[in-house]
Amino acid sequence: MNGFRHDQVKLTRHGISRRMFLHMVPAAGAAAGLLGWRDHLALQAAELRKQGRAMILLWMAGGPSQFETFDPKPGTENGGPTAAIQTAVPGIQIAQGWEQTAKVMGDLALIRSLTNKEGNHQRATYQLHTGYVPSGTVKHPSLAANLAKELAPAELELPAVVSVGLTTGAGFLGVDYEPFVVRDPGRMPDNVATGVSPQRFRRQLELQAQLEGEFAKRAGAQPVANHRGIYEKAARMVLGPSTKAFDIRSEPESLKRQYGETSFGRGCLLARRLVEAGVPCVEVRSNGWDTHQDNFNATSRLAGEVDPALAALITDLRQRGLLETTVVLWIGEFGRTPRINPRVGRDHYPRVFSAAIAGGGIRGGQVIGASTADGTAIAERPVTVNDLFTSICAALRVDPTRENISPQGRPLKVVDGGEVVKELFG
Amino acid sequence: MATAAFGDRPRVFSGAWFTAVLASLLSSSLLVAAPEAAEEDASTGQPNAQAVAAQVDQLILSELHRAGVEPAPRASDEDFLRRVCLDLAGRLPTRQEITWFCLDPDPQKYAAKVDELLASDQYAEHWARYWRDVIFTDPMNRQARLGRDAFEQWMAERLKQNRPWKTIAAELITATGEVRENGATALILACGGQSEEIAAEVSRIFLGIQLACANCHDHPSDIWKREQFHQLAAYFPRVSLRQTVVDGQPTLMVSSVNPIGSRFGDQLRLNPEQFVARMDRNGDGKVSKDEVARLPRFAAVFEALLAQGDSDKDGSLSVAELKRLPPPQQQGRGSAEYFMPDLNNPRSRGKLMHPAFFVDGSPESPGLDDQARRVALSEKVTSPENPWFARAMVNRMWNELLGEGFYMPVDDLGPERQPRHPEALAALSEAFTASGYDLKWLLRTITSTQAYQRQARSREPGDESPPFAAVLPTRLRVDQLYTALTQVLELGDLNASTRLRGMGPGQRSSRALFQQLFAVDPSVPHEDVTGNVPQALFMMNSPMLHALTQARGNTRLARLLRDLPADGEAIDELYFAVLCREPSERERQICLDYIAQVGNRAEAFEDLLRSLLNSTEFVTRR
Repeated sequence: MNGFRHDQVKLTRHGISRRMFLHMVPAAGAAAGLLGWRDHLALQAAELRKQGRAMILLWMAGGPSQFETFDPKPGTENGGPTAAIQTAVPGIQIAQGWEQTAKVMGDLALIRSLTNKEGNHQRATYQLHTGYVPSGTVKHPSLAANLAKELAPAELELPAVVSVGLTTGAGFLGVDYEPFVVRDPGRMPDNVATGVSPQRFRRQLELQAQLEGEFAKRAGAQPVANHRGIYEKAARMVLGPSTKAFDIRSEPESLKRQYGETSFGRGCLLARRLVEAGVPCVEVRSNGWDTHQDNFNATSRLAGEVDPALAALITDLRQRGLLETTVVLWIGEFGRTPRINPRVGRDHYPRVFSAAIAGGGIRGGQVIGASTADGTAIAERPVTVNDLFTSICAALRVDPTRENISPQGRPLKVVDGGEVVKELFG
Repeated sequence: MATAAFGDRPRVFSGAWFTAVLASLLSSSLLVAAPEAAEEDASTGQPNAQAVAAQVDQLILSELHRAGVEPAPRASDEDFLRRVCLDLAGRLPTRQEITWFCLDPDPQKYAAKVDELLASDQYAEHWARYWRDVIFTDPMNRQARLGRDAFEQWMAERLKQNRPWKTIAAELITATGEVRENGATALILACGGQSEEIAAEVSRIFLGIQLACANCHDHPSDIWKREQFHQLAAYFPRVSLRQTVVDGQPTLMVSSVNPIGSRFGDQLRLNPEQFVARMDRNGDGKVSKDEVARLPRFAAVFEALLAQGDSDKDGSLSVAELKRLPPPQQQGRGSAEYFMPDLNNPRSRGKLMHPAFFVDGSPESPGLDDQARRVALSEKVTSPENPWFARAMVNRMWNELLGEGFYMPVDDLGPERQPRHPEALAALSEAFTASGYDLKWLLRTITSTQAYQRQARSREPGDESPPFAAVLPTRLRVDQLYTALTQVLELGDLNASTRLRGMGPGQRSSRALFQQLFAVDPSVPHEDVTGNVPQALFMMNSPMLHALTQARGNTRLARLLRDLPADGEAIDELYFAVLCREPSERERQICLDYIAQVGNRAEAFEDLLRSLLNSTEFVTRR
């Protein structure tokens, strides 16, 4: 632990190349445990914003079947007709339909022992985005909003959180970290281009700001402050050159094909562009995983979209040297029942489910935890949602115990409890 | 008191404007006396709205006094008028309306304006849209969009006729029919016909109680237990929501499914012994495929059950095997009874639940059919004996009109949460019940309170002083904003312009597209609704608004500039059009300076109009 601290002090005093820093921290982080890097974080909070660390969440809305993705059980009753395929890592098999992902297995860690209790879409989606179960009174910020608050550089022109598809918001962290929702990743977001010259646009914004004064005084100090915050962000997007990060048309055709000519594929390509441009948190949604019926055909169709995009994203990030600093997380709100129902579907099952995670110093080519042979229970190494979230914080060097004060005056940690899944970094 | 606004704001009427107003006043006969509130009471037998409002005010004031909080002064006539028009009719006051209202010396004019607005079709349309958003924002069922328009029409009709809230609630709980045909099916449609979801929504919307947490566990802080939630869900297992085709179009149908004769699937789950005794012909204590072959419709189902439950692979099902069958899948397709899932054993069928109403614990007699169950529940929900029904509605309407509720959020009342100003809430809820759950009565009463008529003032973050010392400024709802834009731009519909494109793909109406960008769940506290970057981008840059705010051609702005060659007058008129008030001296000066600086009248006024449309004040109910 001491050695680790010493390294960090040395780092701040003399400066070390970013590459070396990145190389050093994962090993040291594991050795030091949570406490060690928490201390280091206090020293490094400002430094952190310059490192370009980011998370890309690939959200499988509806709850993907673990059996048809990363925890196949071929030849068993519960496994159904789904076959398993070999991956680039000997000994690790995943479900058929994920052939491209199988090739980048060396970068991916699979967790097959996630366990949770929420079996309702909305509640589980909330929990898997915020780390908290819905409480009614507190609007918890999403993990993305929390991370963006720690990671976004002050001078960022782009929104700090972008989501391709609707997602959970920033809660009480407010407008600065609300996700900017992109509906169609194939084209520029609506209305970022102004119909007037930049000079005139600026001039009008100044007039607008001047005229707000009266209302702020009369009735609405708080609404005016919020409104100004949003308009400043919007104006930066209109005037700033980095907004072209939203435009994937300039990417080579071959790369677009690699990601797949689907909304999800384009979303993943956009995610890479945004991360490259400094956006700390991007979510890309794939809808339709709620396979109560016709599970096998539906998941095979969905895998056809997600598999190439996931593999291309990891490859692309690695080739650009971004994978070291970018965590890619593939997950949904829960898993699905081992038993196949009479409609050839699978129902909600939070008790055992899987996630795939790559980047940010996470050691790929490994499987963490296991489900039982029939898939009904965790066989070894249960991982909770908060364990996973704490581990993501570790990979991104964000202190999970950092507290934000809710409007009710309650301090709320970024992640409330949970242990780092050490194997991820081992 | 009532006319104090004249003294408060001496600058409101000035110069040429005043002369014009006088002229229009003289030619009108607007000074008609408002109907006397007391007469109405005699005919309706309802509590007197003014008297109840005064009582509520007194309770609020004494609590504010105890807390040492000074209530805000009364709002100006312009602010009151804009507020009440938006709240009751979902629109801005017209230019003429502002003039007449502000000049009217009659102290009854506030109540008269409220009555006029409540009698308008806009009232029904506005609130139907509000309830549409309550039910349909982020519905559990993705196909729910199918029933949105039908619901809006149905609800508007009910509001227009001023049907009591209990009648509307009962209709929503008990509805059957095709979802585009019968708007009352909305709630069941949005819940996908699923028992648990309907139970959660009925409880949330009509009682303000979040029982859904009790779905999986006993509520940590509330008194109601998991079992009680599932007893509520047990009112709905026989609701069925099915795909169907009407006039060649795919749609959904809400109907009742009751287990009569042929529904062996339910019988065999409820009473496997009896089922086997009935079906077993060869006396081996099991039911085989051959034995059910005489029931062709059931034979297919049996095949599926065999696949699931035949653990010894002998081609037939024993009583033991039947008992181990998993619970029926596909909730919402109608099944005889409701089973509470066993969390420790998700594969089992769970525990059979009989319907009972959690508020008073009263059970239903077993074996009721679907309609009988739902009617029984609707009676219990809307009974005067159930205080939550009135309380939830009063809280919700108060939240809409004052900017915050007694309980926050509006759909999470308790049972163990403390409201703010509990006595005022109790008084208003009791009177609402006594009014026969009359929605117009409730709105009339709330808008009659001093609390509603106070100036707007936002709260500093962390300010925990008791609410209602001032009205909280809130963001306009999507339809209010849309209507306001059409009013400012003097268009019937934003779609009326051919330059609309660029708003988004598809052929949907501009209101629907607007909805996509600006809609917010009305149950979210107003303070949490802040707007977002895409909305700001739309207001600043959308080609449509850009075209409609040009000073050329026949736009509102072009006409205004042609009619009013003097800049000062044009500025005043623009403020009236967009913000429904006159500019202050300072604002007028800022605008005049800007026009001088730009040196191009048309361009400067375009910027000014756009600045006002993008201002906080325009998108805020003040």
